[in-house]
Amino acid sequence: MFTCKESVDLLLKFLDGEMPEDEARHLEEHLEACPPCVDFLRTYKATPGLCRRALQAQMPQELAERLTQFLRQKCHK
Amino acid sequence: MSEQQEMVPQQQVDRELLERAQAGDLAAFEALVELHRDEVYGLALRMTRSDADAAEIAQETFLSAYQHLADFRGEAAFGSWVHRIAANHALMRLRHRSVVQEAEEELKGPEFTERDSLAEYPATDWSRRADEKVLDDELRRAIQQATDDLPEGYREVFLLKDVEGLSYEQISEITGDSVPAVKSRLHRARLALREAIDHFYSEK
Repeated sequence: MFTCKESVDLLLKFLDGEMPEDEARHLEEHLEACPPCVDFLRTYKATPGLCRRALQAQMPQELAERLTQFLRQKCHK
Repeated sequence: MSEQQEMVPQQQVDRELLERAQAGDLAAFEALVELHRDEVYGLALRMTRSDADAAEIAQETFLSAYQHLADFRGEAAFGSWVHRIAANHALMRLRHRSVVQEAEEELKGPEFTERDSLAEYPATDWSRRADEKVLDDELRRAIQQATDDLPEGYREVFLLKDVEGLSYEQISEITGDSVPAVKSRLHRARLALREAIDHFYSEK
């Protein structure tokens, strides 16, 4: 059976669905017996989505207008 | 996922506008720019952390897209195409900066006991809160800071994959790193960011 450290190291591969069947089974066996790793997996999995939301940005209106002017000048040539 | 359901009409609109733009309709191209400028600017700003650079990258990206409109065959989504152009421009700019690489050891990850068990684990399973409608401002700042603190190569890979949605192969092509190296960096970056979010919730 995998240790917690080995399990954590395999999470990306596991979530990407790129793990050989026997390795996935060993990991699932570890997860069934290890609630901390289940919580860890859940929070690891939630991390990208949370970061994506936190890092959203909108182009300020003034820059958007400058972009339009720039493209009009360049694209009309 | 609702995100994917929403993509279909967006892609149809893009395709119609693209066909008109390819036929020389500048207003149609401007409409495409308006639909995608926030994403392109956001990518450039996240990558370069500079408003001025991000504005210039947005200009370069859309100008380059306009100049290559005839080459675009529409097999991929227009949004993905300009995303890749913007990512290339942003990375080129970063490569020209003299970036002091931080040591890999500085990346934080989970702590394990001597027997490789998790020493500490989330006191609360905050994954359920990740879907809350309103994102806490302090959490937003903590995530921005943690992302800024990642060593450059890790930050780039994390942003390109998890925020911008590029594939491993596309990132490998843009950065020149192998796919296994990209995956390894992504995993380390995610662990460090997960740790930062965990720290935020445990301090609350």
